[in-house]
Amino acid sequence: MKRIFLATLILMGITVFVASTAIAAMMVHPGKTVEERAINGAKAYIKKHNLKNPKQTMLLISLFKNSQPKYLRQWKKLTGVDMGSIQYGYTDIPAKIMAEAVAKTGQYDVINHFPYVIPDAVGAGTLQPLDAYMAKGKPDFTGIDSGLLAQQKYKGKTYWFILDGDHIALFLRSDIMKAAAKEYKAKFGKDPGCPDTMAEWEQMAKFFHTKKGATRWGMKFDQPLYGAQAYRSINFSYRHFPAYMGGLLFDKNMNPTINSPNGIRAIKEFTSIVKYMPPDVQGWGTPQLYPHWGSGRAFSFMSFPSAMGYANRNPKSKISGKQLACPVPAVKGASGKMVRRAPQAAGTGYMVNAHSKHPELAYYFIQWFTGPTQGDIAIADPAGFWDPMRMSNLTNKAVLAKHTEPFVKMTMKNAKNAISLLMIEGNYEYFNVLDKNMAQVMQGNISAEQAAKNVEKGWNRITDDIGRKEQIAAWRASVASGAYIDKFAPTN
Amino acid sequence: MAQATIKERKSLSAWLSQEKVFRLIPFIMVEATFLLLLAVPFMLTIYISLLKWRANRPFEQAYFHGLLNYVRVLTTEDFWWALGRTFYFAGTAVFLELIFGFLLAMLAYKQFRGRRLYITIFLVPMMVVPVVGGYNFSMIYIDSGPLNQILSPITEAMGVNPRIRWLSHPIAAQWAIILADVWQWTSLTFLIFLSGFAALPQQLTNAARVLGASRWQIFWKVHFPLLKPAIMIAVIIRSMEALKLFDLSVLLTFGGPGTSTETIAFFLWRQVWQFNKYSFGAAASILLLFMFGTLIFYGIYLLVRERSIVEEERMG
Repeated sequence: MKRIFLATLILMGITVFVASTAIAAMMVHPGKTVEERAINGAKAYIKKHNLKNPKQTMLLISLFKNSQPKYLRQWKKLTGVDMGSIQYGYTDIPAKIMAEAVAKTGQYDVINHFPYVIPDAVGAGTLQPLDAYMAKGKPDFTGIDSGLLAQQKYKGKTYWFILDGDHIALFLRSDIMKAAAKEYKAKFGKDPGCPDTMAEWEQMAKFFHTKKGATRWGMKFDQPLYGAQAYRSINFSYRHFPAYMGGLLFDKNMNPTINSPNGIRAIKEFTSIVKYMPPDVQGWGTPQLYPHWGSGRAFSFMSFPSAMGYANRNPKSKISGKQLACPVPAVKGASGKMVRRAPQAAGTGYMVNAHSKHPELAYYFIQWFTGPTQGDIAIADPAGFWDPMRMSNLTNKAVLAKHTEPFVKMTMKNAKNAISLLMIEGNYEYFNVLDKNMAQVMQGNISAEQAAKNVEKGWNRITDDIGRKEQIAAWRASVASGAYIDKFAPTN
Repeated sequence: MAQATIKERKSLSAWLSQEKVFRLIPFIMVEATFLLLLAVPFMLTIYISLLKWRANRPFEQAYFHGLLNYVRVLTTEDFWWALGRTFYFAGTAVFLELIFGFLLAMLAYKQFRGRRLYITIFLVPMMVVPVVGGYNFSMIYIDSGPLNQILSPITEAMGVNPRIRWLSHPIAAQWAIILADVWQWTSLTFLIFLSGFAALPQQLTNAARVLGASRWQIFWKVHFPLLKPAIMIAVIIRSMEALKLFDLSVLLTFGGPGTSTETIAFFLWRQVWQFNKYSFGAAASILLLFMFGTLIFYGIYLLVRERSIVEEERMG
């Protein structure tokens, strides 16, 4: 009797499993590729809801105004969905997202931005979880490194599709290194090249820093050659600091880890190299840093990856073909081991507005556009700013033609160390506290130790204001997802 | 039935035609508009300031927080720094605008050839949209820009680096904002002083001249006291505006380098639109309203007092 009962139970289990698999398979839209399934999904949705000339809108980072529209036209050709765009600078978009949380207009269907807007936007109810649509569209994220991929999720749900491996890297002047190789080797016992550590980068910056009018290595410098340049202004410092921290910014109870020997070391290293940078660097963003790099007045540049393409292709550039791309140098992190951490500082992707009239239809666009084939086309687009991020990019001829093979190899290597910025609510406020204190240290107003104390106090205040319990839960979940590579120390 | 309606209408029109009722109608309309446009949003702001609400949580989750937002604002160091910076910018800029506006008005109020053209030119900056003005100044201030080119003979002669970092040095950036504000708003003080000079009673000047007063004595003893109300008006109007300084700070430096040009308006914008702290922002706004309101009302009190002194002197 017992046996019959057990056999019936197993049989029922198998039947349920087979049936549910079959139903799930039936739910998946037809199509061999991710893109085909997205197109067919959009067409089926339009048919099912009897939509006539459907129109949708994307809230687009203005940086993509020259590259995104042609793909929107292509989407219209493929599906009939007329996707327009409203463009804003990327600093303005978070405020637009939060305004949408209050107004609930559904004016934007697709939102193009960085992943770290997700926590606040999800809290406010502006973002649509994509998991249910993903079950029908079956997207494919193979070949994308875990640190990048983890940013797509927040509290266990998917909200964002990545299309931009925009983690910071280091670029050096290959022509100057070649000219100075003998002298450099004589001094340091090795050929100049990609530095292994941040300390070595600073050492190189010091060596190559040259005053205006000097003649070195058979070259006359009519302009000063700054040993380094990097992002050191408010709204940018926080994107780079995690590379120096080399570990988690909080312990598992959301206590800041910055006021520690490792945190103070990180602040010191982050700020000390500034003396080899242009004096204006604290007021500079991309519009100033990129042209300065292209003008040939710096030896090294820690930046977003597009800096290399900019300096190679810009007709006014004096350093075209004279750059060496390097992964982010290592630091002795919190664990005491040498680690490389490349913050995914400006990697853009796509989200769906929860207040959209047709969120599922908007979803199919982002599945199509970020898919392995279509996504690679965008990454290879000469007018675009999407950076390589899939393993397939290593063999994609168009991607290699645009970005050059050494760069693609380097950036894919760097992607192994790519980490997310803070994926918790109120992250902009946390970032701002860090930025302000880094600025104070760089201006010589406070010490690194004082800055560490200030940041710790400021961050605790924000955590308490938002709700420590909620923040701890979100923080633990994001650490567990692998978004920062590092995990909590066993003692925590 | 019809008769009763006619009777009612008659009594209504009779009631409306009473003078005291007729006078009351515009008053009620003004009060209603005031309530609608000012009091309702103001009360709403006070209400939000008493809640605990960040925009990254739905409003339904907001809860009563008492005066804790006010305490938080008052214990936030950055609030006081931004406020201090704003007073520094506003004080310096308004002081310079008063001096330059006064000097220009002194030059322009007398009749001379081309006077109208000069007056028109002096008024142009005020008419430029602040965003356009800010953009133009950002071009002027860049390191290799025209301002440094013009100043380089002087700075080089003084042994100072000719490349002044107008937008990236903490102190230079503060002055860059002050100077841009002075350029734009000296026009307004000029206009106020010009109307003040035009309203000076000629007979008093003539009388002083007949009595043998020197030019300086006429200016200092006659003109200047009569111009005090105009000066007060210029101070109040410009201070009200200058304390709200936002556009130049955003356009030229975005509050940087560091926080050296972060004004109180910029601080508030950041708290609300970047950090989503709606109730904190509401509390800060109410506090600022009281702070600035007290100052402005004190200014108005001084103006009224000054006017009455001038009037009494004239009558006497």
